[in-house]
Amino acid sequence: MAQAPGENVSGARGRRGFLRGLAIVAALPLVTGTARGAEPPPIHVGVIVPLSGANAQFGINSRNGIELVADEINAAGGIKSLGGAKIKLVVADSTSTPTTAATVAQRFITQNEVVAILGAFASSLTIAISEVTERRDIPLLTMSFADQLTERGFKNIFQIVSKGSVLGRAQFDYTLAIAKATGEKIERVAIMYEDTAYGTAQANGLRAAAKAAGVQVVMDEAYPLGITDAAPLINKLRASGAQVAFPVSYLNDSLLIIRAMRQQNLDTPAVGGAAGYVIPDFVKGLGEFAEGVLSISPTNYDNAPEFTERFRKRYGYFMVHEALEHAAAMYCLTQAIEKAASRDPAAIRKALAETNFTTGWAKAMTGGAVKFDGKGLNELAQPVMVQWRGAELVTVWPESLAKGKPVWRKRK
Amino acid sequence: MALLQALVDGLLIGGVYAVISLGLTLVFGVMGIVNFAHAQFVMIGMYVAWFAWATLGLDPLLASPLAFAAAFVLAAAIERLMIRRVMRAPPVAQVFLTVGLLIALENVALIVFGSDFRSVRTTYQTAALRLGPLFLSVPYLAAFALSAASAAALWLFLQRTWYGRAMRATAQDRMAAALFGIDPERMYQLAFALGAGLTAFGGAVILPYITVSPSVGGQFVVLMFTVVVLGGLGDVGGALVGGLVAGVIQSVSTVFFPIQLQNLVLFVVFVAVLAFRPQGLLRGVA
Repeated sequence: MAQAPGENVSGARGRRGFLRGLAIVAALPLVTGTARGAEPPPIHVGVIVPLSGANAQFGINSRNGIELVADEINAAGGIKSLGGAKIKLVVADSTSTPTTAATVAQRFITQNEVVAILGAFASSLTIAISEVTERRDIPLLTMSFADQLTERGFKNIFQIVSKGSVLGRAQFDYTLAIAKATGEKIERVAIMYEDTAYGTAQANGLRAAAKAAGVQVVMDEAYPLGITDAAPLINKLRASGAQVAFPVSYLNDSLLIIRAMRQQNLDTPAVGGAAGYVIPDFVKGLGEFAEGVLSISPTNYDNAPEFTERFRKRYGYFMVHEALEHAAAMYCLTQAIEKAASRDPAAIRKALAETNFTTGWAKAMTGGAVKFDGKGLNELAQPVMVQWRGAELVTVWPESLAKGKPVWRKRK
Repeated sequence: MALLQALVDGLLIGGVYAVISLGLTLVFGVMGIVNFAHAQFVMIGMYVAWFAWATLGLDPLLASPLAFAAAFVLAAAIERLMIRRVMRAPPVAQVFLTVGLLIALENVALIVFGSDFRSVRTTYQTAALRLGPLFLSVPYLAAFALSAASAAALWLFLQRTWYGRAMRATAQDRMAAALFGIDPERMYQLAFALGAGLTAFGGAVILPYITVSPSVGGQFVVLMFTVVVLGGLGDVGGALVGGLVAGVIQSVSTVFFPIQLQNLVLFVVFVAVLAFRPQGLLRGVA
């Protein structure tokens, strides 16, 4: 593994600042007899994301988003209600194993005295962590999709994005609406998905939406995640006569699928299911062939360029959705700590549950704000449909959030 | 028609399976070592070609000899430093070493290259030739053609050159070969390096249609062993047939079964071959 599952304290400043603070505390009584002016000890926030293995890139993106916000808050004077205490991130690798993720969470709580935890991108990991945080009453903020997360009656989980089933339904409904707006009535669709938890769950959402809309699913094909040849899939797609394809894939498989479609000159619109379809690597791998590919996404960076451009400036690529959502989650957490004026996780949890977050990074979310309902789900979240234009993702649906018009198929 | 298309796709894919497996079977045939780390040379070849593309703008197909050379040198060093020490050791030690190498190579790649998926962009990537109702994918076709060429080159090498004959002699009887003035250790090193080079070559030619990441070898390791066993362990001609058969089975099975089952079908055939023709498909036929 590139990085052993161990913490790495973000920024040397944190610890050094703390030591300097200690030195000042020790020295001051000699001079003035009081400890005033000393920096309060930092507030520890746990970040558990995959930093090695197949999902590492997504984990790194997530960490970048969180770090950006933490640094901004610290630069602006830290948590004012706690005497300007700085946020200190404690970052650990969840790997791709739920048990590791849970162990790390456990250690964060007992040894690092974290006030809250953010993570862990993949739903299976977040579910494992949520069991630990629920038991220990530590707030957990996440952008994982799985419906299960907020449906177990847990008090300490806060899901900042729409649930997976909502995303699946939106992927389908938005597509039909876009097609309708351009004068095409969709009657036959194809679903193809990688057969792990994410693909299977989203395929269920698609299937249910198709049934509800009375649309015929003419192809419904799972494929293994490590697929190396997409030709059989596309042969089936061509034979099925589907008017639109819904591929739910990570990166490698998404590239294979789109390339094979272009090879066979299929102009069937492909509407991806987030993950592989909404990251810079997608356009890097496909170039001009990415143009016009649609995908559902929980958020998009063009919704709030005044925030997301700061990310691009610092890291050199557009603010992918997992970075944006983690940044918003981090921001809400700092505001909750500010409001609670306490390091007590229970007080922070209460503030998270009660506050309507309408400032700063919370505005970058699709609802323009963040409000967690009784289950811990952000009730203002709304998925968007995005489309590739050059190397950028443009929000094209729903119309209220759209920044550009959707392009359906290019008839020759 | 779907069947014909699947057959063509399978043959094209199978050609590549054949060339990456040739290396493995060569190493086993000559040295008697089952090299579990062999699939990592697919990954190494892909990275060499990727960097050649990213820095020099070289097409992966043109960079494939470079991948061959890089893997050849690396494998020669690995043979000299590690494999040579376990040539006379019990098979268990050989398994430990090569499995250890497999893990080490993958993780070194993870540290050096990171876990990103990297992919190249070429003009012919999304091109296909139309042959009546059939589509012939250009990247598949190119990979197949180069694989066939490299297999032919290997065959010529083994049949026509002194080194090739010496290598075969060593495989047949180490002692007798040594008595005829052949240095067996040198032959082992050559075979190991050549095998790795061929596999890396195969990795480079598939780069136009497969993305590379440190774990890409894992997608091929079981497949390679299947191909090699189908053809008969250590049988170079057999590996060619085995590769084509494996490709066709995978591809054609998708016409009748869900795509998820394509490997299941392949392994059912694999188990059947082990049970009924453990010597491989070809051996004893001619």
